Amino acid sequence: MNKLQILVVEDDAPVRNLITTTLKAHDYRFIAAAAGEAAVMETASHNPDIILLDLGLPDMDGVDVITRIRSWSNVPIIVISARSEDSSKIDALDAGADDYLTKPFSVDELLARLRVTQRRLALIQSSNSQQAVFVNGQLRIDFASGCAYLNEEEMRLTPIEYKLLCLLAQNTGKVLTHKFITQNVWGSSWENDVASLRVFMATLRKKLEKAPGSPQYIQTHIGIGYRMLKIE
Amino acid sequence: MNQHQKGHLKIFFSYADSIGKTQAMLKAAQTARLQGIHVLVGYMAPHTSPDTLLLLEGLEQLPPLIMEGREEFDLDQALSRRPELILIDELAHSNGKGCRHRRRCQDIDELLKSGIDVYTTVLIGNIESLQDAVASITGITTWERIPDSVFDHADQVELIDIEPQELIQRLQETNTASSQITVEQLTALREIALRRCADRVRRLSEPLRRKNSFHTDEHILACLSSAPSNGTIIRTAARMARAFNSQFTALFVETPDFGVATAENKQRLRDNQRLAEQLGATIEIVYGEDVAYQIAEFARLSSVTKIVLGRSAVTRRHLFGKPSLTDRLLSYAPEVDIHIIPDQSAGRTYRPRRARIRSKYHILLNSLKSVGILSGATGLSLVFYHLGFTNANIIMVYILGVLLTSIAASHQIYSLISSVASVVVFNYLFTDPRFSLTAYEPGYPVTFVVMFLTAYITGTFALRYKKQAGQSAKLAYRTKILFDTDQLLSKAGSREEILNAAAAQIIKLLGRNMVIFEATDSTLSEPRLFSSDTSSPTAIQPPYDPEKELATAKWVLKNNHTAGATTDTLSDSQYLYLALRVRERVYGVVGIEARQNPLDASEYSILLSILSECALALENEKNAREKESAAILAEREQLRANLLRTISHDLRTPLTTISGNASNLISNSSGFDESTKQRLYSDIYNDSMWLIDLVENLLYATRIEEGRMQLQTTTELLSEIIDEALQHIRRKAAAHPLSVVYQDDMLLVKADAKLMVQVIVNIIDNAVKYTPPGASITITQAKSGDLAEIRIADTGRGIPDEEKARLFDMFYCGTNKIADNRRSLGLGLYLCKAIVEAHGGTIHVADNQPHGAVFCFTLPLEEVILHE
Repeated sequence: MNKLQILVVEDDAPVRNLITTTLKAHDYRFIAAAAGEAAVMETASHNPDIILLDLGLPDMDGVDVITRIRSWSNVPIIVISARSEDSSKIDALDAGADDYLTKPFSVDELLARLRVTQRRLALIQSSNSQQAVFVNGQLRIDFASGCAYLNEEEMRLTPIEYKLLCLLAQNTGKVLTHKFITQNVWGSSWENDVASLRVFMATLRKKLEKAPGSPQYIQTHIGIGYRMLKIE
Repeated sequence: MNQHQKGHLKIFFSYADSIGKTQAMLKAAQTARLQGIHVLVGYMAPHTSPDTLLLLEGLEQLPPLIMEGREEFDLDQALSRRPELILIDELAHSNGKGCRHRRRCQDIDELLKSGIDVYTTVLIGNIESLQDAVASITGITTWERIPDSVFDHADQVELIDIEPQELIQRLQETNTASSQITVEQLTALREIALRRCADRVRRLSEPLRRKNSFHTDEHILACLSSAPSNGTIIRTAARMARAFNSQFTALFVETPDFGVATAENKQRLRDNQRLAEQLGATIEIVYGEDVAYQIAEFARLSSVTKIVLGRSAVTRRHLFGKPSLTDRLLSYAPEVDIHIIPDQSAGRTYRPRRARIRSKYHILLNSLKSVGILSGATGLSLVFYHLGFTNANIIMVYILGVLLTSIAASHQIYSLISSVASVVVFNYLFTDPRFSLTAYEPGYPVTFVVMFLTAYITGTFALRYKKQAGQSAKLAYRTKILFDTDQLLSKAGSREEILNAAAAQIIKLLGRNMVIFEATDSTLSEPRLFSSDTSSPTAIQPPYDPEKELATAKWVLKNNHTAGATTDTLSDSQYLYLALRVRERVYGVVGIEARQNPLDASEYSILLSILSECALALENEKNAREKESAAILAEREQLRANLLRTISHDLRTPLTTISGNASNLISNSSGFDESTKQRLYSDIYNDSMWLIDLVENLLYATRIEEGRMQLQTTTELLSEIIDEALQHIRRKAAAHPLSVVYQDDMLLVKADAKLMVQVIVNIIDNAVKYTPPGASITITQAKSGDLAEIRIADTGRGIPDEEKARLFDMFYCGTNKIADNRRSLGLGLYLCKAIVEAHGGTIHVADNQPHGAVFCFTLPLEEVILHE
């Protein structure tokens, strides 16, 4: 069975062991690296499917590792950060990371993130470049006509809500930071735009989700951003 | 070389020229050079003597600075070359215009301060306190002098001494101009020089005594005046003070007349005052008309034991004149010794001349007033005369006229003339025969004399009263300014306020433009200009040249010494700069515009009081700040200690289970059956989860206590925060039905989302912990005014009233027994309160109906403009 190959970049041996043991138990293939330089080398030589990257590395900043890898590869990167590196987590996402985990994390959480990323990977592979129509569960977006349908019913969206929905859809599975969204929707990221984003996101969800308390399509990452989940 | 170590000063001292002090200095320098010391010849008077030239060989010489055709010592060059030892001839030299300092000894002081050793030469006549004695022997007055303190504080003084006969011989050989000097004169000079050196050595042997404490009870008072001979009195008093090792005060009595003194006199007074300061006197100024009384009163209050006066004050001016100052002083203060010093100008008594500031216009105005009043009095008298009133009434009218003249005119001469004129006019118009200056009645001459004297005396008293009133008003004004300053400064809290208050008071006092530089860590802040023109207080004055002025201010900061206009240092500045200091610490530099008109002595002394009060206020403010931060530090230390104690205690329990269970599993995993293993695994898991929660809260708690909880606020949708918190807690709260009520939709708050989530999690966590399973928990979000309100209600047993008050304290854990086996750290609610308050909200706890507790907190709502 051709399971995914995962590169684990973590300098702390017990945590590295924890992750690799978990991966082994769930039939993932893995390679491990303890430093940034090694991570870049391994990525270039083994071309892993997913990278789990710790931000606090001894030799270089995790964000720099992402920037270097992103210069040639689109491999999904999940960053692992300790609490003290909260702001660098957003930097990492803006630099091109797809998702994040905060230490201490549970094994279940790790596996869940891997599954989300795996689906995103599948999505990227199946739909090479821009498609005319996007389908996710009951949601269908026809980019050509500029219409979105839920349960085959046309959704009544304001232009901003539609723009938001498209942006999330095109990046399904990836955590989009507030900054990224506001820059793509409003072209700026002022404080007021972030506030507007909250409001539009709330109205969009009302139209999209059955129960806004436990969302199905759009996940909130408090203090970070939003993500559209791929529904199986 | 150590930058902060002061350089050593060595003085080569001799009692006459041509003894060879320069040669001795050069020899010493040559010796130092051979020892490998970097020697620089800073300044050497042009010498032709071959011996001297020979000695100069091999020494590095600093090219002199040419200033308006004169050769001067180049201080800046010397400082930048940084030699270890510098040679400068003639310490007492006065620098020419354009130099930084007016005197060379100030140059040398700066060199010493920057750590450079100095060799220099001094001639006996150059020493301030010996100047009179030397001048009385040689008949030559030297204008170039150094304060005694420079001589006394030198690290080493080498007396270059030869027998007078030998010197005379030498002078005759070289045929120097001053060879008229006799052996007797030289011997006398030599004796003074030797005695002065011995005096200095004696003083060095008791350095502790010299500091501040005065071991004798003597207190010597010299009276300052603007007389040219006053210098002699001050110098004598200073010598006495030194001999008795006593306190020394110089007193100036400002009389009403001083206001009209000539500029020359005022300048001389300033010079005398500076001289007294240099000789170590404390300057005091009192106000009053009766000089003797003021001196006596001061002497009594400050327990002065000796008063030094000049001879001119002793002699009566004439037989019927007022008793002399000394006579009155003796009667006012009989217990004080009075020393009378012969002054050079004895014989022709000095009287301060009044300034001829009265212009022709002034004279005309006063004359017109006097004539007008006289005419008025005459007119009224004529009316009285025709009404048949007696002459007594008319005389009264004239006396009234003179009285009015004295009040209206500003000088005694007008009341005198007016008195004479009144008598004459009265005689001419009203006595028989009328219209002539003769009087028939024999009693009239007496009437005239009495009338003149009455008019003149009342007039004089009126004038004197007027002057005194003016003076006391001035005094009261100054006292009030000082008093106000004191009050304003004590009210001012911040540095900014203190400086503004001081500036406002100084401007009120002096009415001049001023500038303040704040000093922090020996650098000056941007200048803050204060304009005397109160209508535009921030306007920048045109004549302020920041470049040059800043250099002076910096010098003041560095040297902790007054400089700028009207001083001897950097005197071409527009402003006079004074340090705001408490002892050695400089808190700032204040500049006062003083180029055109110097400050008078009393203004200067009040200014100094204001500045020292201001500096004290600054120091207090600084101390308060330091104390406050020290207190915070101590509190933090205390907290850290508490935290460590609690943690180390409470962490042990879960850590014991985790490590114990793990070690069991490692060593005998085969001995356990599967269900035991599962129990052990889940114990380890639960305990570690508990630790994770604890660490999370601890992290926030320390951040709050260290005061570095920087809220990273963004505008958040409250419902999103609540949803997020529920996701965290849902698993733990499985046994408690959770429900959310959104009373108002779309509440936007400005908050740090992570911290807010923590607040909700902590409160729900408590509800879960302290209520029995099955008790429901309801979260409500609502809008109340411009606040968002979040209520978390449970249906547990509620919280007793006596516990409610302490619930939010750090490390407070209730006595509730329902809590699961593990004790709580008492951090959760403390954190909630801190976080909510940091967001500008409030938190409180109330009772739920019918039972249970309601935690309720508020957050300010955020308005948002939607960007479509």
